[in-house]
Amino acid sequence: MEAWLAALEASGPAQYFRFSRLPYAALNGAHVLGIALLVGSATPLAMRLLGFWRDIPAATLRRILSPIAATGLALAVVTGTLLFSVRAGEYAGLGVFQAKMLLVLTGLVSAAIAHARHVFRAGTPRTSMAIHGAISIIAWIGALACGRMIAFAGD
Amino acid sequence: MATLSRIFLAAFLLTFSSAGVLAHHGWSWTTGGNIDLTGIIKSAKLGNPHGVLTVDVEGETWSVEVGQPWRNERAGLKDGDLAPGVEVRIVGEPAADASQRLLKAEKIYLRGQEFPLYPERD
Repeated sequence: MEAWLAALEASGPAQYFRFSRLPYAALNGAHVLGIALLVGSATPLAMRLLGFWRDIPAATLRRILSPIAATGLALAVVTGTLLFSVRAGEYAGLGVFQAKMLLVLTGLVSAAIAHARHVFRAGTPRTSMAIHGAISIIAWIGALACGRMIAFAGD
Repeated sequence: MATLSRIFLAAFLLTFSSAGVLAHHGWSWTTGGNIDLTGIIKSAKLGNPHGVLTVDVEGETWSVEVGQPWRNERAGLKDGDLAPGVEVRIVGEPAADASQRLLKAEKIYLRGQEFPLYPERD
């Protein structure tokens, strides 16, 4: 683990972003954009699963919001990996970072199960829908909160 | 669900129970007054999102936050200036919790020359 983190810190992109100004700021901005797209689309979709706007079919909202959430997630994962590589050893040891990874994993697993079980289909029991909606909100907003705390946590 | 809520709560408790070591961003965590330290750099970790020096001050180990690469460069510091073994004098604000021995540098002095990281502060 230690060796792997050190290798990541020594990688070309990590070195580049560690010592640049505007590219590092742009990388930060792109990470925020990814999170905005993810949380901004996962939240209304989760709210529909929790019972908001029952007159709009969940499948319709899913068709619009799910690809946007997935795009945001992909952007956040790529930029997040690069941001992590700049100080991999330091971040890996932070409790808030570990909690964030756990929440992201929870969100991913829940989303994968929700899609596999077709919970957006009409006729799905309300409880199954609500469970996925609640997990989604806790996981993604929790990951955002923990992620923000990384910048304010000391060693 | 209950488990998840607990994880979430635990994450937050973990975060805020460590409020004593909240650092890095801005000046809210510092005392508001400057102190002056002179010591030998033991290690330097420079680069985004901010640089940290470990400095031996008469046997006490201090963590000194210096600037991002652009701020250090603007102050006139060159690559290799902040290296282990170098004697450095630092003026800056310490963390409000003095036991942390953490300082955010406003000015750095090397070989008697001033390098102002935050020229607008003092």
